[in-house]
Amino acid sequence: MTQLVQTIVLGLLIGGVYALLAGGLALIFGVMDVINVAQGALLILAAFVAWTLWNDFGIDPLLSVLVTTPLMFGLGWVMYKTTIQWISGRPASMSVLLTFALALVIEGAMGMAWSTTYHAATPGYFAQSFRLGDFYFPKAQVFGCVIAFGVLTFLYVLLRYTWLGRAIRAVSENVSSARLVGVNPKKVAALTFAVGVAMAGAGGSIASVLYPFLPGSHYQWISRLLGIIVLGGMGSLPGAVVGALALGVAETMTATYISPRWATMMPYALIMVVLLARPQGIMGAKLREDAVI
Amino acid sequence: MRSFVRGNPWRFAIVAGLGFIAVYPLVSDDLYYQNMIMLSLLLAIMGSGWNVISGFTGYVSLGQSAFLGIGAYTTAILSVRVFDGASPFWFVPVSAVVAGIFAAVVGAVLMRTRGHSFVILTIAFLFVMQIVALNWSEVTNGNHGITLPLPDWNRDYQNWPFYYGFFALMLLSIATSWWIRRTKLGMGLVAIREDENKAGGVGVATPTYKVLAFVASAVWIGAAGGIYAYYLSFIDPRGMFDIVVSVQIVLAVLLGGRGTLWGPILGAFILEPLNEITNQEIGGGNERLIFFGGLLALVVLLLPRGIIPSVQELVARRRETGTAALVGERLGRPLEVRGRAAEPAPRTGRALLEIKGVEKRFGGLRALDGCSISVEEGTITALIGPNGSGKTTLFNIIDGTMSRDRGEVWFDGERIDRLHTWERAHRGMGRTFQVTRLFREMTVLENVVAPLRSFTWRQLGTVAVAGHEAERAEELLDFVGMRRFASHRASALSFGQQKLVELAQVLMLDPKLIMLDEPAGGINPTLISHMAEMIRELNRGGTTFLVVEHNMPLVLGLCDPIHVLARGSCICSGTPTEVQADPAVLDAYLGDDYLVEREAV
Repeated sequence: MTQLVQTIVLGLLIGGVYALLAGGLALIFGVMDVINVAQGALLILAAFVAWTLWNDFGIDPLLSVLVTTPLMFGLGWVMYKTTIQWISGRPASMSVLLTFALALVIEGAMGMAWSTTYHAATPGYFAQSFRLGDFYFPKAQVFGCVIAFGVLTFLYVLLRYTWLGRAIRAVSENVSSARLVGVNPKKVAALTFAVGVAMAGAGGSIASVLYPFLPGSHYQWISRLLGIIVLGGMGSLPGAVVGALALGVAETMTATYISPRWATMMPYALIMVVLLARPQGIMGAKLREDAVI
Repeated sequence: MRSFVRGNPWRFAIVAGLGFIAVYPLVSDDLYYQNMIMLSLLLAIMGSGWNVISGFTGYVSLGQSAFLGIGAYTTAILSVRVFDGASPFWFVPVSAVVAGIFAAVVGAVLMRTRGHSFVILTIAFLFVMQIVALNWSEVTNGNHGITLPLPDWNRDYQNWPFYYGFFALMLLSIATSWWIRRTKLGMGLVAIREDENKAGGVGVATPTYKVLAFVASAVWIGAAGGIYAYYLSFIDPRGMFDIVVSVQIVLAVLLGGRGTLWGPILGAFILEPLNEITNQEIGGGNERLIFFGGLLALVVLLLPRGIIPSVQELVARRRETGTAALVGERLGRPLEVRGRAAEPAPRTGRALLEIKGVEKRFGGLRALDGCSISVEEGTITALIGPNGSGKTTLFNIIDGTMSRDRGEVWFDGERIDRLHTWERAHRGMGRTFQVTRLFREMTVLENVVAPLRSFTWRQLGTVAVAGHEAERAEELLDFVGMRRFASHRASALSFGQQKLVELAQVLMLDPKLIMLDEPAGGINPTLISHMAEMIRELNRGGTTFLVVEHNMPLVLGLCDPIHVLARGSCICSGTPTEVQADPAVLDAYLGDDYLVEREAV
């Protein structure tokens, strides 16, 4: 029983970090119908930046969120302006190919800059835990989860109470209507993409402490994130959070009770089952196809 | 052969290229270039396969390299672990069959999704295969891979068996693509790419077509995997189920020209040598990732249609200046239909179509709320009602585009509400759309030939546009006055012209019932009366119509009886005079101030 509760709590903690990362993907998809397959590579890039700041300058990797987030925001904006915006209106699968191509470029660039070996940021609290009765909670995971939900709350407030947030929500509902009421969808899309990538920046900093990583890790991360947003219902932020927590628990359960090596299969299994059984996910609405004219 | 190439630089280039590949190892013993050509052949085989599912059918797969791995592992496991050192070549056909079986099973499941979801699922499929190969070490030897026997033939023959094995498979892939493209199967696949729901509506049994396409796209890749494993003499999960290989396949085909016969081949023979050269010049690993990623991004951004279509378009534009002016030319006076009779079709009193208590909800909204109407054989029945009253939803439920929540639909004495759209089409039901939905990349003639009145396996292999059907299609185009546009692309037509072609397309089904969704919407008055004339003409020939229309003079002059729909149910049925006098109809639709006027149409 203790082990079960322990496993679930660990799953929820890691799920909180997944929620932040998948949230960026869901936000981008919701607003511009682009699946940013490069999200995994971008988060690894942020992890490498965090690792360098820690290794070379002694900056705490969790604190480096303050650096990686704005940095990745800028990179996201540049990515949108130079590539993504040119394929709007083309078939959906083209955006998958384009962002996949960008992921490969980023992977190669990271390999050249940091080599293709495993890295991990190991600050002082890395191996420590909070104890509570029979349970223990690794400090890194607790801090990571807290920061992740902090950023998510910030994002929620942004979407809910600011003009930009309203504009983003308007564009995700209906591009042409948003344009009619004075929202510039291109500007909103660029900002949304940048915000989504910035979330990968914050998440990458946290991930650098939680898991060892190398440039090629992004495949595993992107499939995990895709699994989450498919489960949660593609463009839905609350769905992404729920899906992230569910996948976190599913992974730790598989690793504890079956075998860690099959835990890598969980995201794929999840994707397959959900897409086939309930393609709209947990929180996604089923749309009338004929209504889109 | 000489007449095949004469005056045709394309064909000359193809014959010269294939000839060069065929004789190269016989005249040169340079193993470096032989290897380069072999890898190009392999990429061409994979590209050609991918092109069937993603180019013709429009389902982009990023998991196609999984079939290479499946083929490689099949051959390796059989020759090393099961038959203990037998020549791997024996098992290459088995690899093809196993890859085909995998494709059939996986395709039947994955192809229930579309667009983004399908792409993601194919990536997931590839990684699942890799994880299985890694973890199921009892059979696959996991991480350590499998070592195959070395070639047992005389060294004088160099790598010829591999080389010509790949060459033969490439020719087979090309032949398969060529055959598919010119048959009903290929036309159905292109129809699915252009508009899958519509394809179902004109009688294409879409799931069968898609699974066949997926199998066709996998078998030769599977066979090539068998040969490739033997050639490499060592395979492991990461090398065999490699996403980068999938990317190379996609890149090669996009570069050469997606959806064309030779595009994948051209792309492969550009990309693979480039790959080899960059490997030598700038090193492998990271640089290669940047190179391929960058190239893929550039192709997607700058050359999305690929080399061959772009060049063809250039040539065509030069040749065809002026013909575009034909589009928009005034319609000639047409009208000649078989079995024409002067009198309206005799009414039998029998209900051809019956809707019984159909309900449909969208979340909390009841679009249809216990709707019941019937359409008598031989009539031109109208369905009118305010916007949002459920007319189009009812059409969608009748033709099977949507499923009903409750209620029954009967057609020609048979309950059809559980049948697929194409099965309903096969029973003699045709439908046009409010906003026309032609297959945009097909020609007008192809659009009209595309409908299928039945599904048979033999039919799949018959030539798409030929014989009796092509003649019939031309007749129908003549009937609607669009014959001279037969070779134009559908997307080049005006909206009104598209409406006419869509009518001809539906007529190809020889339907007992035609459902028209706003036939007069968005077209000019001349064309409206022309349309009414054709409907009457066809009705005299025995076709029953169900028409949704807002143009009241047209409805009153053309249709009898009229059903009025409001808030999801039928509030009134009767002759035009009865309907106009009904207070409920005036209240819900026509309005109090509606003047009864029967304009002649």
